[in-house]
Amino acid sequence: MTREFLIESQEGLDRMERCLTELEERPQDGELLADIFRSVHTIKGTTGFLGYSRLEALSHAGENLLGKLRDGGLLATADIISALLDLMDGLRAILRSIEAAGDEGHGDDHAIIERLCALQQTEIAPVESGQTLGEVVGHSSETRSAKRAAQIEKTSLLAHEPAAGQPRPQTQSSAADSTLRVDIDLLNQMMNLVGELVLTRNQILQANGADTGFTPLARRLDMVTADLRETVMKARMQPVSHVFSKFPRLVRDLSQQLDKRVRLQMEGQGTELDKSLLEAIKDPLTHSVRNSIDHGIKAPHVREAAGKAPEGLLTLRASQEGSHVIVEVIDDGGGIRVERIRDKAIERKLITAQKAAQLKDRELLQLIFLPGFSTAERVTNVSGRGVGMDVVRTNVEKIGGKVEIDSRPGKGTTLRLRIPLTLAIIPALIVRSGKLDFALPQGALFELVHLTAEQARTQIEWLENAPLYRLRGRLLPLVFLSKLLEQTEDAKAGAGCYIAVLNADGRRFGLLVDGLADPEEIVVKPLSAVLKKIGLFSGATVMGNGKMALILDPGAIAARAAVGLSADEEDVQEDATNLGAVDAEFLIVVIGAKHAALPLGDILRIERIPRSKVERIGWTPVLRFDSTVLPLEDSAGILDQQSDDRQSDSGAEVTVVVCRDGERYVGIAVSQVLDVASGSPLAEAGTDAIAAGVTLLRERVTAVVNLSRFPALPAPPAESIAIASMEMAG
Amino acid sequence: MTATAEDVIEMCSVRVGGTLFGVPIMRILEILGAPATQPVPLAPSYIGGLVHYRGEILTTVSLRSLLGMPAHSQPPDMLVFEGADGYFGLLVDAVGEVMTVSPREFEANPSTLDDHRKALFAGTYKLNDGLLVMLDPARFDPMQLSQ
Repeated sequence: MTREFLIESQEGLDRMERCLTELEERPQDGELLADIFRSVHTIKGTTGFLGYSRLEALSHAGENLLGKLRDGGLLATADIISALLDLMDGLRAILRSIEAAGDEGHGDDHAIIERLCALQQTEIAPVESGQTLGEVVGHSSETRSAKRAAQIEKTSLLAHEPAAGQPRPQTQSSAADSTLRVDIDLLNQMMNLVGELVLTRNQILQANGADTGFTPLARRLDMVTADLRETVMKARMQPVSHVFSKFPRLVRDLSQQLDKRVRLQMEGQGTELDKSLLEAIKDPLTHSVRNSIDHGIKAPHVREAAGKAPEGLLTLRASQEGSHVIVEVIDDGGGIRVERIRDKAIERKLITAQKAAQLKDRELLQLIFLPGFSTAERVTNVSGRGVGMDVVRTNVEKIGGKVEIDSRPGKGTTLRLRIPLTLAIIPALIVRSGKLDFALPQGALFELVHLTAEQARTQIEWLENAPLYRLRGRLLPLVFLSKLLEQTEDAKAGAGCYIAVLNADGRRFGLLVDGLADPEEIVVKPLSAVLKKIGLFSGATVMGNGKMALILDPGAIAARAAVGLSADEEDVQEDATNLGAVDAEFLIVVIGAKHAALPLGDILRIERIPRSKVERIGWTPVLRFDSTVLPLEDSAGILDQQSDDRQSDSGAEVTVVVCRDGERYVGIAVSQVLDVASGSPLAEAGTDAIAAGVTLLRERVTAVVNLSRFPALPAPPAESIAIASMEMAG
Repeated sequence: MTATAEDVIEMCSVRVGGTLFGVPIMRILEILGAPATQPVPLAPSYIGGLVHYRGEILTTVSLRSLLGMPAHSQPPDMLVFEGADGYFGLLVDAVGEVMTVSPREFEANPSTLDDHRKALFAGTYKLNDGLLVMLDPARFDPMQLSQ
């Protein structure tokens, strides 16, 4: 009974919190007021019945005030809203106490009750018609922070008193978090499916092996199971608004505390996420929002000086992208100054100065996620961000998600959390080692390399006792799964093996396995504590063939294998090189007679196109795809040359590399595509400045094609086609 | 004289090697005949592998390995118990019949038994045609064994 009351009350207060922050914007919204009134009224009604006198007195005072507000006798000013928020905190504290200790605790609520009563007496001057109430609130907002500060002094003691007497429970409102509201239709659907499952089981039990009806039965069982799985998953899904709803209050309080003006905008609140994942991202999100307001968005006068609106904009956006949900925290604040990140990372010996010089801005930004980058004393001496960002990353990665950060100095910062839709079922690749099958989560898997027995003998190189493999010219440390697992049986001689290239926590390594089976969607089952202790397996699963497989934990394997290989510092450097490796890869092409390099990250696709498809606007060759036109760059005259050389061959094709330059696409005609290689930057002799436009590829100085150099099209695509046809006509 | 309910204990007899063991039947959730087991690399030697049981994956304990006996050629049977950390399985060579024993026939472990076995066995019932070693499922909980 008490438990139900707690859950219901928490939900009521959550709703009230949402409504109150909205009320600040629309102080006259009768529906909002009625909603808040209902929440408090319900609590009052039930408490009286259960005999919680403190709760009853407090909610009674609130109800009186709310009643007046609802009937229009009072106007919801900032003062009143603050008082109501404090009332809510007071109610919450008592509820926590009831949940933890079973009684209401011994706090003194007189001050807040008096304040609520006093506010009831305040007579508001009748508002002139035509003047919106928003303005009234707006006026008072300037003095609000000062008043608020005074109120905090007065009331904060009261609000927290009940909790102060006893140890604060670790998980707030655990009773409410451990339950889930499920749509009754969904539950009925589940019940129907379970009924069908039972029927199918009965039929299967009666069928014997020779029965011809077995195949359709199996098919039906498959269908029912799939449907049931989907329905249960659906029941576990919750809109992100459950987490987002906490933020208006947080933003309001924080911005008042810090004397900043922040507007919170929330998008995609209906996006759904598994309940347990939703719980897991609550803390990282809170942390990020706090960071944005604390460090990202500057004080109003600083913003005005920078030519921005005094009110900062903080956007929380959720959207679904395939099997992931993307949650973004976007601020239009000062952004992160990359130089400071770099200096700090060098100062903290997380990266060497030479390495830092090679990293691009975007890569430097990612350094703030390194553990050890942020420490408590850092908060005071650096204005940038990064307080505990490694914790945010760890928490998100724990649930199989990823964190990215993007920042433009002066423009703002975007933090992007990429969360898998559900935890319980993950795509995995089944690999074999010795006689056993293991599941390797696809999330960490980058590529697979097959080695024949011959290749395995010759291409795996040894540095002392560390096996290495040259993957496109770079050394990839290898881990032999069978050795790691101390499997005694030898792999069949003469059989090949596979290298699964994994990226775990920024560490890249190859896991050598004996064989591969199909990729499969696996249902993750937890392991018992004894087996968890082994540390290499994150769970187990039952595969389609009925056999079981242990799920490998790439991060743990990397950590275990690296113990004897490299010291800590080298690890970090390894991290950094990998960060660098991702974007410093180039496609080597031949243009005319010269080698040139195209940044791999900018390349969209490589196409072979019949020469006859190339059209021209004036002198600019273009390609038309449906209703878009792609300018072609042909400095070496490859397009003409080929037409001259192969007059007879009308079907001659040209190779075009389609690249991205900012928003637009450009095509580059090339004679030949050679290979992909990673380049290293070259410094100008004497100045040591990084030379732009050249890179060292395969021990050869190669020019990097500068995409932005290419002229824009003379007019927007649709018109340019018109021009082209006109020219042709003329 | 008729024995009352409290006077007799129903035991499920299981055999490992040449020894007859008894497990109180009320503690057994289910008995599975020769389930497929999946070995776990790097696990402690007494772990008999994983067994798929009603949608869960159970950790099993091999009584054979615990007693230091070599692996058996026949696939073992499994008893399912509820432990501190969820369900677990106990692998035995074969499950026999259910027998009733009387507490009057019970005796504690003999002092000559080695310490390892003293820790595992709960005592002995004297039967007409031999001994029945009493097993207490709680002592085979993998959580317990790992400590």
